[in-house]
Amino acid sequence: MNPIEATEKGLAAFLSREWETEVAVENARLASAGARRRNLLFDARRGSDTLALVATIIPTAAVQVMEIEVEASLLQLAESAGMPVPHVHAVCGDPAFVGGPFFVTGQLDGETIPRRVLRLIESEPGLGERLAQQCGDALARLHAVDASRAHAKLGRPVDAEPAEHALRTLEPQLAGLLQPSPAFTLGFRWLERNRPPAPPRTVVVHGDFRNGNLIVGPEGLRGALDWEVSHVSDPMEDLGWLCQRMWRFRNDHLEVGGFGSRADLRAGYEAAGGRWSHASFHWWKTFGTLRWGIGLAGQAAAHLGGAFRSIVMAASGRRVAELEYDTLMLLRRALGD
Amino acid sequence: MQDRPTAAELLGTLAELLEGDVMQAVPGPLQHQVRVAANLCRILEREAELGAAHEANEVELLARVLGVDPEGRDARTLSRELVERLHAGHDAELERAAWPALVEIVRGKLAITKPGHDAYDFADELDS
Repeated sequence: MNPIEATEKGLAAFLSREWETEVAVENARLASAGARRRNLLFDARRGSDTLALVATIIPTAAVQVMEIEVEASLLQLAESAGMPVPHVHAVCGDPAFVGGPFFVTGQLDGETIPRRVLRLIESEPGLGERLAQQCGDALARLHAVDASRAHAKLGRPVDAEPAEHALRTLEPQLAGLLQPSPAFTLGFRWLERNRPPAPPRTVVVHGDFRNGNLIVGPEGLRGALDWEVSHVSDPMEDLGWLCQRMWRFRNDHLEVGGFGSRADLRAGYEAAGGRWSHASFHWWKTFGTLRWGIGLAGQAAAHLGGAFRSIVMAASGRRVAELEYDTLMLLRRALGD
Repeated sequence: MQDRPTAAELLGTLAELLEGDVMQAVPGPLQHQVRVAANLCRILEREAELGAAHEANEVELLARVLGVDPEGRDARTLSRELVERLHAGHDAELERAAWPALVEIVRGKLAITKPGHDAYDFADELDS
């Protein structure tokens, strides 16, 4: 039996138990296989019904960033708030069935690979503007949720405002860079001195809502994927992250994912009840740029230290300058011209 | 002196091999890594040509910001000194001097690692 057949068998056994009826699993194929998760598309047949499903499998507990139950509960919370996400059909923390914990969601057709998303948008007049508005709408719905309803194990900054908490998390990473970065230090010092006012309330943020984690069809946003870095924070963290330059894939003039304008995003956000703060937005956007740059340097360090040898991780080290440049440009009003 | 081809010429040749025949021959999952490898060869090709001049300029610029003599200093030591000075306390004058110098230094790095990245200047997205 090959690994896919073994997984089909495990999924059938689990779903039969879960749904208390005979379930057959067929046509399984890998949609993506990263180091931290595998997405397996499959069909589940019970009686005359066939469901097109996806199993998101964490290969080993060692690489689990967020417990599978927590991630699944976030998808359910988002769905109940009216945000487009894949529907959760079942959750399994027991690694015995398919080799690791997993959850099962409905399949959503559409594009997720950024360049394909952008190609689709080029072929559909008005889609970019609409998608930016829908992203605003989706995030406003998520941010309207009472954070106390979220899973007890979801990360919450307990002893500090979100911005302060974020800076304190990043500080040791900045100090630990293999190579000193005056540009990132300048950016960090500015962030420290210019913390945004505390948000009216802290909310559940997706944490990685951006071109690449969105499922897009010709009519627009169909779902937001990859909730594993979700946490409680300032709502503007999500909006600033979505507008990072690195998610624009060369369409630099379109601030939202290379497909839409901030005005459209903001209009969608405010129409659905979100409160926009430009100072917070700019702060979180700058913070996200700096954090990503330090993260790239960290990937190179993981390669050089032997923890994860990979030419892609090595190459990340030579991308740091792009984020240094972006950080400096975001601060040009404050420190430059 | 080594014989021709130079380091830059050899790295360009390696990039051509990876971008062409090797890319055609490897299976899909490896293609991304080969593309990354080819791009690294292009980066090193440019570094072999521009790296020394860039680093000399970096030393000049950092020394000027710090008000020290660049003679006998290297970019790494001066960068560390500037990081320490920036951490020592808020010095608006130092930060204002550092910003344009760092922009020029980073542009020098980008000329090697990603030419064209600095064509975009964020001017339209800084206001509310």
